[in-house]
Amino acid sequence: MKGKYSFKIAVLGLVLTFASCTDLLDVEPRASIDSVTALTTEDAVNAAVNGIYDRLQSTNLYGRDLVAIPEALADNGRATNKSGRLNPEYQNQVNAHFIHWQTSYFAINQANLVLDALPKVEKMTQANKDFVEAQALFIRGLLYFELMRAYAYEPSVEIKEASKGGVPLLKSGVVDATQIKLESRASINDVYESIYGDLTASIAKFTSSGRTATASFANKTAAQAMFSRVALYRGDYTNAAKYATDALAAGSVGRFQTRDTYVSAWRAANHPESIFEIQYQTNENIGVNTSLQTSYTTLVASGNRTQTGGFGDLVPTKALLDAYESEKDADGKTIVDVRRSLYELGTTGRGTAEIECTKFLGRSGQVNLDNIPVIRVSEMYLNRAEALARSGNAAGALTDLNVIRTRAGLPAATGLTGAALITEIMKQRRLELAFEGHRFFDMKRLGMDITKAAPVQSLAFTDFRMLAPIPIREIQANANLKQNTGY
Amino acid sequence: MMMRKNLLSLLFAVIIGMQAFAQDKTVSGKVTSADDGTPLPGVSVSVKGTSRGTTTDASGVYKISVSGNATLIFSFIGFTSQQVGVNNRTIIDLQLASDAQELSEAVVVGYGTQSRRTLTGSQASVKGSEIATMPTNSFDKALQGRAAGVQILGANGTPGGAAQVRVRGVGTIKGGTDPLYVVDGVQINSNSGSAAFTSSNPLNYLNPNDIESIEVLKDAASAAIYGAAAANGVVLITTKKGKSGATKVSFDYFTGMVEPTQYLDVLNTQEWIAVRNEALINQSPTTEPGAAMRTTLGAIRLDPALTTDQIAALPTYDWQKESYVSGRTNNYSISLNGGSEKSTFYLSGSYNGTDANVRNVDYKGGNINAKISNKVTSRLTVDNSINLSSFIQRGQFGGPGGGSFLGSPTFSAPLILPHNPFYKDDGTYYGTPADGGIAGILNQNVLMVSDLNKIESRVNQAIASTVLTYKIMKGLSFRPSASIDYRFIKGFNFQDPRTADAFNVRGRIQNQNTENINFILNAVVNYDKQISSVHNISALAGAEYRKDQSENVQQSAEGIPTPQFTVAGAAANPITTFASWSAFKKAGVFGRVSYDYAGKYLLGLTARYDGSSRFGANNLWGFFPGISAGWDLSQEAFLKNNAYVNQLKLRVSYGSLGADQIGNFDSRGLYGGGFNYGGVSGIAPTQLANPNLRWEQNITTNFAIDYGLFNNRVQGSLEYFIRTSKDLILDRPVTWLSGYSTISENVGELQNKGLEFDIKTVNIDKSANNRGFKWTTSFNFTQIDNKVTKLYDTLTTLPGRAVDGWIKIGYPVNSIYTAEYAGVNPATGRAMWYDNNGNIIYRLAGNPDSYSKIIGGQIPKYYGGLTNTFSFKGFDLEVFLNYEFGRTVFNNQSAFMAENGGRLFNTLRSIYENRWTTPGQITTVPRPFNGNAETLGSGITAGSRFYEDASFIRVKTLTFGYNFSRDLLKKVKIDRARLYVQGYNLYTWSKWTGFDSEFINLGSGNNGAIPQPRTITFGLQLGL
Repeated sequence: MKGKYSFKIAVLGLVLTFASCTDLLDVEPRASIDSVTALTTEDAVNAAVNGIYDRLQSTNLYGRDLVAIPEALADNGRATNKSGRLNPEYQNQVNAHFIHWQTSYFAINQANLVLDALPKVEKMTQANKDFVEAQALFIRGLLYFELMRAYAYEPSVEIKEASKGGVPLLKSGVVDATQIKLESRASINDVYESIYGDLTASIAKFTSSGRTATASFANKTAAQAMFSRVALYRGDYTNAAKYATDALAAGSVGRFQTRDTYVSAWRAANHPESIFEIQYQTNENIGVNTSLQTSYTTLVASGNRTQTGGFGDLVPTKALLDAYESEKDADGKTIVDVRRSLYELGTTGRGTAEIECTKFLGRSGQVNLDNIPVIRVSEMYLNRAEALARSGNAAGALTDLNVIRTRAGLPAATGLTGAALITEIMKQRRLELAFEGHRFFDMKRLGMDITKAAPVQSLAFTDFRMLAPIPIREIQANANLKQNTGY
Repeated sequence: MMMRKNLLSLLFAVIIGMQAFAQDKTVSGKVTSADDGTPLPGVSVSVKGTSRGTTTDASGVYKISVSGNATLIFSFIGFTSQQVGVNNRTIIDLQLASDAQELSEAVVVGYGTQSRRTLTGSQASVKGSEIATMPTNSFDKALQGRAAGVQILGANGTPGGAAQVRVRGVGTIKGGTDPLYVVDGVQINSNSGSAAFTSSNPLNYLNPNDIESIEVLKDAASAAIYGAAAANGVVLITTKKGKSGATKVSFDYFTGMVEPTQYLDVLNTQEWIAVRNEALINQSPTTEPGAAMRTTLGAIRLDPALTTDQIAALPTYDWQKESYVSGRTNNYSISLNGGSEKSTFYLSGSYNGTDANVRNVDYKGGNINAKISNKVTSRLTVDNSINLSSFIQRGQFGGPGGGSFLGSPTFSAPLILPHNPFYKDDGTYYGTPADGGIAGILNQNVLMVSDLNKIESRVNQAIASTVLTYKIMKGLSFRPSASIDYRFIKGFNFQDPRTADAFNVRGRIQNQNTENINFILNAVVNYDKQISSVHNISALAGAEYRKDQSENVQQSAEGIPTPQFTVAGAAANPITTFASWSAFKKAGVFGRVSYDYAGKYLLGLTARYDGSSRFGANNLWGFFPGISAGWDLSQEAFLKNNAYVNQLKLRVSYGSLGADQIGNFDSRGLYGGGFNYGGVSGIAPTQLANPNLRWEQNITTNFAIDYGLFNNRVQGSLEYFIRTSKDLILDRPVTWLSGYSTISENVGELQNKGLEFDIKTVNIDKSANNRGFKWTTSFNFTQIDNKVTKLYDTLTTLPGRAVDGWIKIGYPVNSIYTAEYAGVNPATGRAMWYDNNGNIIYRLAGNPDSYSKIIGGQIPKYYGGLTNTFSFKGFDLEVFLNYEFGRTVFNNQSAFMAENGGRLFNTLRSIYENRWTTPGQITTVPRPFNGNAETLGSGITAGSRFYEDASFIRVKTLTFGYNFSRDLLKKVKIDRARLYVQGYNLYTWSKWTGFDSEFINLGSGNNGAIPQPRTITFGLQLGL
């Protein structure tokens, strides 16, 4: 029967179609690649390093939080409640704190994966490998430091009964579930040792690679400068001074600005003083809600009060503004501090006009788009001044202090020693680095109480809110992890 | 066929003619349909108590010899049987009424059809004619309240907007909940319809007038044939086909008004100034009152020195009236069908233009549908169909789901401070960004934003299929088919440089194009056999392959020369380009065997073996069987011919279904791109691999009774089901130390148990002559208990969930976990909450578990519909109510509107009038307080206060129609003509304090979501 015959053919055809398609269900993604074989070529490793820098742009890290929250938590910033953002941090509400735990560990895993993969990459010169390794080590060291200063005490001021140690140290990468480790918190000292190790190795690898880089990427000067800062936090003043000297000597990235160029330096796409500066492209604009520009000011351009841009959520406290105007000349007139020019009256577009910080004013040519300095040269003078002062070298400290003072337009300080010298160094550090994410950390590393004007309350160093809470889900997902006291 | 029937009639006639000698009387007459008066050929006419009988001929005429006192029984499939006493008459003409539930009709089931009498699975049916006039664009929304076990909510009131359809509850935690849509055998991709800029429904392509019937497969026995895609139910849509005969034309038109259902009662300028002043003074009681008033006025850009009289003279502007507006709807649909014995066709076209109840939001679209069927040989039939459609929607600022966007009229209009005028004296917009905006936190002139921006999405779609049906031998056929579902979605967002969000960048243009290609091949073999006239066997086997691929390209650019330039090419700065690609492949083989013994004892077996590229390498394939059995007591001797019991069928079914609505690459370990820095491309690990990832599985057990009583004047079903969803895929959190957040694993379990009841009654029926009074009622009710039963490890609560997405064992999916609001302290006016020991607290601080509890769920517990239809002399009136109870949702629009001057925007009058003002006052509204949080207190809208009961009963439609008499129409050569007026969403009973509680939370709650509209339409339906 004809019908039956064609039916058989049809069924046979169907069966054969199914059977012959070994790739019946094969679909390969086009926007991703398999993670196990991803990092086997030089191109892939280079792309993977770049992927770590990408994390640093996060608003949890340098995109906003590590720059703005230290100002809100401490005594430099006052929240205006125009969008409501940063108000909880300004009020030191419980849990209103740093939240870069996740992003930092994600980036650390990426760095670990690159470091694990490097020895197995073929057809890549040792110099190129060293250059990649130096960058990965620098970022890993940097991020462990950022974790430490938010989630743990600095060794010299550790409150023993409250302290739960440092942060978990992970040094190998994870691509599949079997590699996951439920690490507990390492001791504060172990983490600092690890950061020292990473930065030392990074400096060595930058040297052996023979490669230089701009401040947009990790570079040898940046590793030295970061070492200086880490040592200062650790209370290791010898190294703080030594590495500040190294960083200042290098001179390849970061040029100290004069008083004349001081303000215009803050208008350039890349701050000329930057030793390491996070870059943002136009498509990476953080936008009108959480960029630094919108956080700090309603202005879109200096001197233009007719056009409103952002919210201006965090403005300088009266105490900070007063500090810029605290020195008088012989006639009793206030001496003009050039750094005060970076604060001006904002618009009424979001409510009452306030005096606002204009360090981030769309420097990259677009509103809310700013490259963000992580370390700049001025800090090296201040680090060394403090390190020398604290190790009894008052003369050396004064020299460095006066580099900063005279550049600002203040007369050179003379005859200061001991506590008075340190107080003045700390004051200049506050004025120089205000709204750049130093204030809270500087007070915390020195065990200082934070004094705040009414209506908000002051915060004693002994208060548990000096440390950030580890995300609750991390405690739930890892039985070995101890939460900070009070949370 | 026709010829054989005629032959058969002739034979009968001859036999009857021969027997006529023995009889004393010949009765003749014509049998017609009570529905439309057309003659009914093939009606069986038998003499009660004898074996004698005949059938009507092609023109419905019969002739039979009987004794003068005999009784004739007229019966015909799909119509209610009638018994008529002869009473010595010689001519008996009769109208047969169609059987309300068509117990014997063939219904569409997966990959085939089956007689409703022998169905053993659970399946809800809705006729196309029931929903054809509803002004909803897509048919899914029209199904709301029509079918037991099927819960539907419109995502918002956007015309042509999305809807959420849930069959028998929610059976997943992470996966999708949409049912599988199969239109004339083509599995439609219902996911890719969401255009980025408007709320869009992928089912808009289908003209509701083209729909013949909709079947919702609810249990495993009916749906297992769709295997891994069937866990959320399967909706089978059958569209109209051509019928041989003279060409028939149908024309359907409606036009009407779309309007807001309500405006919120907010404060006038004076009241707002007063309450703001109060809020400031409450915050700092030592402030001198004059200073507080100066602050209040200054902050909203009024002269701080205004006197009381001057304040009293300030005008109030109603921004809602300008933003929520009335619009029009127009719908045209025309169809032609006809053909010869060999070829038939069905051609139709439609156009719909509908405005939203919000300024500058609308829908325009149409489709062309062509179906042609050709009998190539006596064995081979080819069916071709193609449906082309295109629609364009204008959307609202801020996106399809709404959101707290200052420029969005739907969000901002009720909140804008009422002293802000709309226009300046010269007629231009007041408060442009160049002028510094309007006063208050909601500082954008939303009329300007709405008028100047262009937000659109267009969907072009083509669905085509070719089906061959080859009859191999009697009862055996082979049916291969190929289909394609092609969709192109074009989103366009032009932000005018004069509006606030694009002012600083001199205009912004975004384009998003998505192309989706869904290709399906399948082949089915059907076999039907009757053995010794009581054993009926029907079997089916088939195979199917599907590939679905989606590609998306997006760009944005800023800086346009002037607002007339609305293409990205004219912009100075390209900002982003983005592209994505994704695909899945599925393959499966399936089969079904149905057996019945004389229609009494019924058995069904179904199974599918399915594979999908979405799952882990170790678990690509899954097996999904279903078994069902039934016993139709009405076919037993003791009930057969019982006048009171027409059907009494017990059914039971059990089976397993798969759920595959997860990401296409969720099982893979991936390094993703896009982690760029400094203009150089970068990659990063994005996902941990899980090669064991497999289907979520639904085990369903179903018990049911189908009943038809009192000559089928009462009929319906009662069903009880247990749907256990196992192996639910959860993103199990892993420590962030690993570099990842989660891993997808099959670890969860939940259960839906429920009861479904539906009943249709003919209460009064004097319509035997087609013009008398008739009243029918249909009612359906569904009750569902949803409960999470298992999570991983020893967890009782899934970590990392939002307050309104709580997953806790023993509670429904996405329960709400927050602090119970305790009202206001009568002494101080401060807001209070309860902690978990029942103590009053003023601040929600510390561990949320110390004060939070589950206060409600987002899955309704009861829902359904009630329809009453009255007809009399050509007039008909239908009242359709639908209802839903037990859903609690966050009303964030009302939360914003409850701040009573805490920030610079307006407030609901009811909140203002009930605010605490004097010690001892008992109220639930705290005193106004600047910033909304008292010193050491939490914000006044925190906790359970604005989680509101979203239950409603709604007059969904009220339709009053008139059918012109057939006799009259005959004179003008018209088959049928009907005029009607219909009200849609006419009235709602609800405790909800916002615009409307029918919305889906697409991430921003009801903030800025376009509310459901009220629509009044006038319609005309013509048949030529």
